[in-house]
Amino acid sequence: MSVPVSQMATVTSYVVKQKLRGRKRYPLVLMLEPLFRCNLACAGCGKIQYPAQILKKHLTVEQCLRAVEECGAPIVSIPGGEPLMYPDIDKLVVELVKRRKYIYLCTNAILLKEKLDLFTPSKYLTFSVHMDGLREEHDEAVCRDGVFDQAVDGIKEALQRGFRVTTNTTLFDGASPLRMREFFDEMMTLGVEGMMLSPGYSYSKAPDQEHFLRESRTHQLFSGILSNPKRRWKFNQSPLFLRFLMGKKDFECTPWGNPTFNMFGWQRPCYLLQEGYAATFQELMDGTRWENYGKKSGNEKCRDCMVHCGYEATAVDHTFSSLKGFAETVAVTLTGKL
Amino acid sequence: MSLEGWVPQINDYTSLREVVDYAFDYRGNTTIVKRDGRELVGYIFNRDADAPEPFLQFFDEQGEGPFTLAYADIATIKFTGKDTAAGNSWRAWVERKEKERALKAAAAGAGQLGRDPRPDGG
Repeated sequence: MSVPVSQMATVTSYVVKQKLRGRKRYPLVLMLEPLFRCNLACAGCGKIQYPAQILKKHLTVEQCLRAVEECGAPIVSIPGGEPLMYPDIDKLVVELVKRRKYIYLCTNAILLKEKLDLFTPSKYLTFSVHMDGLREEHDEAVCRDGVFDQAVDGIKEALQRGFRVTTNTTLFDGASPLRMREFFDEMMTLGVEGMMLSPGYSYSKAPDQEHFLRESRTHQLFSGILSNPKRRWKFNQSPLFLRFLMGKKDFECTPWGNPTFNMFGWQRPCYLLQEGYAATFQELMDGTRWENYGKKSGNEKCRDCMVHCGYEATAVDHTFSSLKGFAETVAVTLTGKL
Repeated sequence: MSLEGWVPQINDYTSLREVVDYAFDYRGNTTIVKRDGRELVGYIFNRDADAPEPFLQFFDEQGEGPFTLAYADIATIKFTGKDTAAGNSWRAWVERKEKERALKAAAAGAGQLGRDPRPDGG
């Protein structure tokens, strides 16, 4: 685990407070999307598939901060679109740091080198660079050659200037465990603080057997990648979530764990599904029929989903729900054995 | 299959509620035809069919909004804008890449066929 102690302490105290207050549903990470515009056009990315007038729009800093206050989560992830194309990204980051929010600025890093002067290194600010594998795999995933090298240049420059840098990687069916292990080595050699992994979201109307096979394939893929993890590999996420991906734990989704806010409002029910929008965070929490989501609900759209935005919050909550969960997290963190 | 160009007729077989749901999922501008005959062009991003007074919300062609419109005021919705999601799925991308690879492999194979198999070519 590579999460700094101060960040761990902040999250721990936040979760414990929620538990003491008896709050059954609480947000952990706000997914704040100030814009949908991007300088890449990755295949299948729903975030950029909008008419021109929507892609030209963005939230104001005030709207962003209002959402942050409403939600109250200790971590703010800024995806998009490409957040470095947001004209007020520097002002937004300054305001979030003032509020002591831990920020994950999720970027493809094409503009990172050019925009670094806008920011000041802080323990609250992390550039989370999208890297879907080694050069060949990454450039194919983002549908453009040369992006891997640009991202590596950006990472090097950011690290040299003292910024926190992590990577975030989405894995799809067919990924090579061996190549992924090489990728982890390369990222750690670059000097990133930690890596984040998640399977991609897939949804299809399929018979039960096919769902079961998909889940087995995901477990197989992540077991192939993460069995015998090297000591030098650092992951910037809950080790229990990684164990879940390997099929060693069974979790249920926490769709309210990573609420999403963008120019349309508060997205129902989660970061991945777009079934409507609530005007306020409270309306999202009170007015969403949460029982209709997650594997147990039988919702077809949730059956194959093992994505971090639904399950990482479950893993964190599990850690603080029982002594057993806490002990398991501590043991995995200390031994490094997943 | 894209709904681009669809001009649904609201009748016993196609309800307004269904058409609004399709329009909500559609990744392009639509033209909302009001009961008074006026037309509004924009992107529909939200709807609530279960509200006491069902409504939809949209940004207009200039990006102004959001505007709210009651279902009761809508005659139909025409799918007039370009569908920005059409052909852009991950699956479509993988299929395109596989075709490209197969073509490259076939071209390389054809090149090999035309070459003299003897090491020195002589």
